[in-house]
Amino acid sequence: MALGGTLASILATGLAMGAIYALIGVTYNIMFSTSRVMSFTAGQLGMLGGVLGSFFMLRLGLPLIPGFVLTLVACAVIGIVTELLAVRPVLKSLDQHLYVLSTLALALMIQQVTAIEWSTEPQAFPRLFGLGSGVLDEKFWLPIVACALVIAGLEWMQRATLVGRAFLAVAEDNFAARALGLPERNLRVLSYALAGAIGGLAGFAGGELMLAFFANGALLNFYGFVPVALGGLGNNRGSIVGGLALGIFQQAANFLVGGIFASVAVFVVFIVVLLAWPQGLFGLSTGRRV
Amino acid sequence: MIISRRGFTLGAASAFGLASQGAFKPAFAQSEPIKIGWLGALTGPSSAPAIGFDRGLRYAVDAVNASGGVKGRKIDLITRDTQGDPTKAVNATQEMISSIKVHAIWGPTNSGEALATTPIMARAKMPNIHPCVVNSLIDPVKYPNAFRMAPSNSQWDDAVRNYCLKILKVKKVAVIGDTTGYGTTAAGDSVAAFKKDGADVVYSAQIDATQPDMTPDMLRMKNAGAEAIVSWSTSTGMAARLFNARAALNWDVPFVGHPSLGSGEVGKLIEKPANWDKVYTVNYRSCSFDAQGKLPERTQAFLDKASGKIDLKDTLLWWVLSGVDVIELLSKAVAESGGTASEGIIKYLNGLSKYPGLFGDYTWSPTQHNGYPTDEVVMGAANSSKDGALNLAPGYG
Repeated sequence: MALGGTLASILATGLAMGAIYALIGVTYNIMFSTSRVMSFTAGQLGMLGGVLGSFFMLRLGLPLIPGFVLTLVACAVIGIVTELLAVRPVLKSLDQHLYVLSTLALALMIQQVTAIEWSTEPQAFPRLFGLGSGVLDEKFWLPIVACALVIAGLEWMQRATLVGRAFLAVAEDNFAARALGLPERNLRVLSYALAGAIGGLAGFAGGELMLAFFANGALLNFYGFVPVALGGLGNNRGSIVGGLALGIFQQAANFLVGGIFASVAVFVVFIVVLLAWPQGLFGLSTGRRV
Repeated sequence: MIISRRGFTLGAASAFGLASQGAFKPAFAQSEPIKIGWLGALTGPSSAPAIGFDRGLRYAVDAVNASGGVKGRKIDLITRDTQGDPTKAVNATQEMISSIKVHAIWGPTNSGEALATTPIMARAKMPNIHPCVVNSLIDPVKYPNAFRMAPSNSQWDDAVRNYCLKILKVKKVAVIGDTTGYGTTAAGDSVAAFKKDGADVVYSAQIDATQPDMTPDMLRMKNAGAEAIVSWSTSTGMAARLFNARAALNWDVPFVGHPSLGSGEVGKLIEKPANWDKVYTVNYRSCSFDAQGKLPERTQAFLDKASGKIDLKDTLLWWVLSGVDVIELLSKAVAESGGTASEGIIKYLNGLSKYPGLFGDYTWSPTQHNGYPTDEVVMGAANSSKDGALNLAPGYG
């Protein structure tokens, strides 16, 4: 493979994986914005997007659109279950960080149930459209398209809809939002459902690349958190840039130094960035008016 | 005769004493069932082998019991699902030794569990036969009770290396493993053995099995001039991605290695059936179709007899055959040694020479407890599975 081919391969795989990481980062952010909780179920939602997509389309034989819709609905329901079981009971004592345990426990339960009921081996994910080949294969550009649609959708929602503005109000100051009469609890549930659907979309769009594999959850939890930290907590645009940069850097490191050293290289850069910019590359230290 | 109260008390006490000392034990022992413990990871990750073994074991137990048992004694197979968890395997072993008091144990069937249970069984002098590949599990001095009836990892390694060097006649090899303990150790051992035999190991690496694109690793191997790729990984996802990347590079280098290269799961993950060509996996002569598409006579006779009674569609034939062999072996050990005493069973197993099992001809001695013959380990064409057996890889006579 010539240099041009190598570069194309790095960009195709790097951008695709980066888009998946970015979407998981957005999932983390949306759940965080209304609850101040970092939910470790974010990566598992990505994993479920792939597993449920394969289940509905390959095992049950459903066509693309019903399979896709059912996958997103199921992931949205898992998002709501996360809010009800792992987040709401610990919100009163956020300072004790009990959510780390509760969301991690739920994430492990999701992973184990998937391993037992689905398979411990990676399973095939269907070709969705059968378009493209080589570096232009759909498995590379579908996650990027999904990422672009999510960003456009979120921007539109926050600028043009009442629900989007209410989300922003709760994210800014949930006490003030409640004082203004906004249904903070319902908005939080809705945000977890939205996060679930976005996580599911990440897994569904990346299913051809990552396969339907129960262990993808832990991997996405880990690599999905990196763009959140790089981009600044709660900053979706930062997550997108951080995710895409992570994907390209990881794939370039794969080519240059090999698989296990690539992971080391990724985390060395991650730590260096956080040491230099503790708020993340795009995070702002907000001052509170008194 | 008048029986006094004192005489009755003395007599009863004597009778009780004799019974508790075992005076009546032989008669009872000769009729009690032969209790064989079966420790298998029947659920959870890595459960496929245990499910295959289980089918063979149950078939053989039913066959022995239906024919009247072993000198009138039925076999009682006592199963515990260890779920691939060494802690559960240790607990089940303790239960089998202390509470159930089994006469012999088959398993565990994965090396991680066996590393934990083997010393416990050795302390209890429990006859133990297992199929685990890790070399250190067999040591007739430390574990005189433990016998392996499948190849060790060294024997797999020998078969893979011999195929590459003597049949494919390649000189430059790439050796890869995944990042698990097994993958790292097996690949390291393989590299050392290739170098010892004078081969040029042009590339060796541990690959993260979850990485979605194997193109970078394949490119490095291609650029290094590898003429064959030796793979030591149990990950079917990694195998399929490697084969897909090889096809994308239009490279026809052969893959040789671990049995998972031939798993049916790989077939579901490759992008085109042709991507699975030129992949050769560890297999056994007893489970190989020859050039005429025939299995060895002994295996075929068994399959004819067991037809319809054992499901072979989703398992490997050697797992099933081993399960049958272990029950027949232990039955013979009890029959020949005259009972279920552990010393007798171990002595019988130590004296076996070329015992004609279905899976292979086993030979054990007091100083050698690796019972499977290396020359019966061969390579099979990974994409040729039928009823759990494979076609012999090209080049075998």
